[in-house]
Amino acid sequence: MATGTRRQRPLYTVAALAFFIGLLGLTAGAAVHGADTPRRGGVLLAAIGADAPSLDPHQEQTFATLQPVSPLYSTLLQIDPYNYPNVIGDVASEWKIAPDGLQYTFQIRPGIRFHDGSPLTSADVKASYDKILFPPEGVRSIRKHHYSSVASVEAPDPSTVVFKLKFPSASLLVNLASPWNVIFPKKYLDRDPNYFKNNVVGSGPFKFKSYTRGSTFEGERNPDYFIKDRPYLNGYKFFVSTETSVRAAAIRSGRAHIEFRDLPLSEVEAITKNLGDKVVVQQTPFVIHFDVAINNTVKPFTDIRVRKALNLGIDRYTAGRVLYGLTGLRDVGAFTRPTTEWAMSPAELEKYPGFGRNAEKNRAEARQLLGEAGYPNGFKVVLKNRNVKLPYQDWAVFVIQEWRKIGIEAEHRPLETAAWYADGRDQGNFEVVVFPTGHFVDDPDALLAPFITGSSQNWARFSNPAIDDLYARQARTLDPGERRKLVIELQKIVLENAYHIPGLWWSRNVVHWAKVKNWIAPPSHFTNQKLQDVWLSED
Amino acid sequence: MATSIELAHASASATLAPKPSVTEVVARFVRTKPLGAAGGVIILGMLFLAVFAQMLAPYDPYVGDYGLQFSRPSAEHWFGTDEFGRDVMSRIMYGARIALFVGFTASLIGCTIGALLGVISAYWGGRVDLLLERLMDILLAFPQLILALAIASILGPAVQNVVIAISIPVIPRVARVVRSAALSVKENVYVEAVQALGATRRRVILQHIIPNVAAPYIIMLTAQLGAAILAEAALSYLGLGAAEPTPSWGLMLSGSAPSYAEKAPWIALFPGIAISLGVFGFNLFGDSLRDALDPKLKG
Repeated sequence: MATGTRRQRPLYTVAALAFFIGLLGLTAGAAVHGADTPRRGGVLLAAIGADAPSLDPHQEQTFATLQPVSPLYSTLLQIDPYNYPNVIGDVASEWKIAPDGLQYTFQIRPGIRFHDGSPLTSADVKASYDKILFPPEGVRSIRKHHYSSVASVEAPDPSTVVFKLKFPSASLLVNLASPWNVIFPKKYLDRDPNYFKNNVVGSGPFKFKSYTRGSTFEGERNPDYFIKDRPYLNGYKFFVSTETSVRAAAIRSGRAHIEFRDLPLSEVEAITKNLGDKVVVQQTPFVIHFDVAINNTVKPFTDIRVRKALNLGIDRYTAGRVLYGLTGLRDVGAFTRPTTEWAMSPAELEKYPGFGRNAEKNRAEARQLLGEAGYPNGFKVVLKNRNVKLPYQDWAVFVIQEWRKIGIEAEHRPLETAAWYADGRDQGNFEVVVFPTGHFVDDPDALLAPFITGSSQNWARFSNPAIDDLYARQARTLDPGERRKLVIELQKIVLENAYHIPGLWWSRNVVHWAKVKNWIAPPSHFTNQKLQDVWLSED
Repeated sequence: MATSIELAHASASATLAPKPSVTEVVARFVRTKPLGAAGGVIILGMLFLAVFAQMLAPYDPYVGDYGLQFSRPSAEHWFGTDEFGRDVMSRIMYGARIALFVGFTASLIGCTIGALLGVISAYWGGRVDLLLERLMDILLAFPQLILALAIASILGPAVQNVVIAISIPVIPRVARVVRSAALSVKENVYVEAVQALGATRRRVILQHIIPNVAAPYIIMLTAQLGAAILAEAALSYLGLGAAEPTPSWGLMLSGSAPSYAEKAPWIALFPGIAISLGVFGFNLFGDSLRDALDPKLKG
């Protein structure tokens, strides 16, 4: 499994490679990976740890939405399931980038049909991207800041889509391969831009079959899928359970073939001990980190001393040691994944609140800051969280234990997924809340979006013009070295001001039955979820 | 004739027994109901642990020793440690507080509201009775734990919400029993007499009906205590009770325990024993108290 870092290439290299990559995209679906001959039929059974707050991936940011609906949709481009993080086509058969980097032109494959029988054209791609880039009133767009370079999307003819840019962007191509940016039929969006929160009309390898809220989600084979011999499976079915042990038991008993997100090492070990070579384990890093968002708009968190104290109160290095076996949370870092080109070095990181190696010294400083801020005996706080155990609640338990050592008594309040998003993201109805940040690739535009003014991912609700400026500048910078400096500088400002409480970067352990073939775990649980090439060697 | 009548009166007054002291009542209860007494000892033990947990618990139940994750039962940690290195015995001691708090408050609230509604229903009769009884029918249509689950899932996981969720299903059960007792008390001549003397409804209910339905109320209260503790454990087990890191027995039994049952069975074993013992104690005590208070069961 390729999990290495992705270096930003100069634009001309990207442009030169794009054509070949586009051609490769044509045949990628036809390529079958693995030595065995694919077998048709069967229903893939998967366990999933949460229920979708809505079915519209443009408006959501949880695996609970994306994993069940991904197989129902197509995207313009996609991350190569077998060569992460290379970009290949999905509905786009080929593409060209203008030499000045200000225009991207995509050709749409002919003959693609939505599940309602209507043809997929460039108008649908434009309508979908317009909804993401320029959302109408009352429509949330989680990732519009990732496309700040795009001035307009045009559809000059039914098979051509043109993205016109305000400035060249090093991140655009990979962000156009976002699994979240599914293509919706324009006619439904025209009727109601929120139509897909509760409905599904895609063009993916599977068609929607049924959804029982909080229980199951099913898809069935799309016989008219535009790759003629795909998918191999007759269908797939997700079972929802927020309990880690229930999902692990489902794998152990064969009621589920796979849990795509992650299981703790202890469960993985127990399953492999139990089932031996009937199961396969795939371990990768994870482009996702678990933090705590501080509501910067409410007292006492408007006081930087209190925010610093909260950061200083958490011993991250011990957390990585304690939580790795329990949850997979392991690596200490800021807001870009450690070991990647965008990450701060450990020595740099140690200068910031909560990253010093001496935990007792950090705690003493935290107590002193709390005293100076008028809280010599600490205070009580409500830590809201998602009612998903792995790793949300384990992370919260660790944080609560740590804060007790500096006199902060946190009441843990787990909420159902939709309520957690409503309180955390939409309404700011919290003091502190467990908040994961992740993306499908290590891209600064995406990973740093939670820190810019007005971003729907900025749960902490702070605003700093210097951060906004650095974000805008890094998005326009094509030279990787220069861009890195800006990316690091931005992270330092967030850390210095303790706007946010960074936690740990996750690692991924996927255990699945060996009869599930042709599925490779990338370092993100958002990509490679279309299941078009997956097959079962036996029922 | 007259002399013999006086003698009969003298004999009668001479046989009136003095009111037994509390010690004598307890001694008689222990002698006649040894199982109930054993239940009482368990309850007292739980109460003792709950009240003095802070002094008795050897470790902070919320903060673990990270170097001792999944430590086996030993001289330092009699019941071992959990996945965060927290002392299981200390958490069980503090857990008794949650169990008793939820058990007592939920039973007290549910039984008291139920008893009041039962008395009102019986005394007023007519439309009030009809309305209240149909409302109780609706609540009784749901199994107790299912109704508690539904209420808890609406209110969200928190200890106070568990109390509400457990107490509501108790109401109709107690209301039915108390209504039936109050109906028979209402028909007594002395009630008619005080009504004839001009006593207000409030006075009749508070001074003449409620004291006479106290026995079924107390019996229901003790019977519901064990059930409430079990319901709290069940709700916490299902993720609808107290939230981590609260040391709740049910939560300790769910939480990470199923994931680590093979690796560290003590994480699940000791909270399981605590729940069983607590519920067993309340059930034994409740049964014996019912036998002692219910006139129909007296020899």
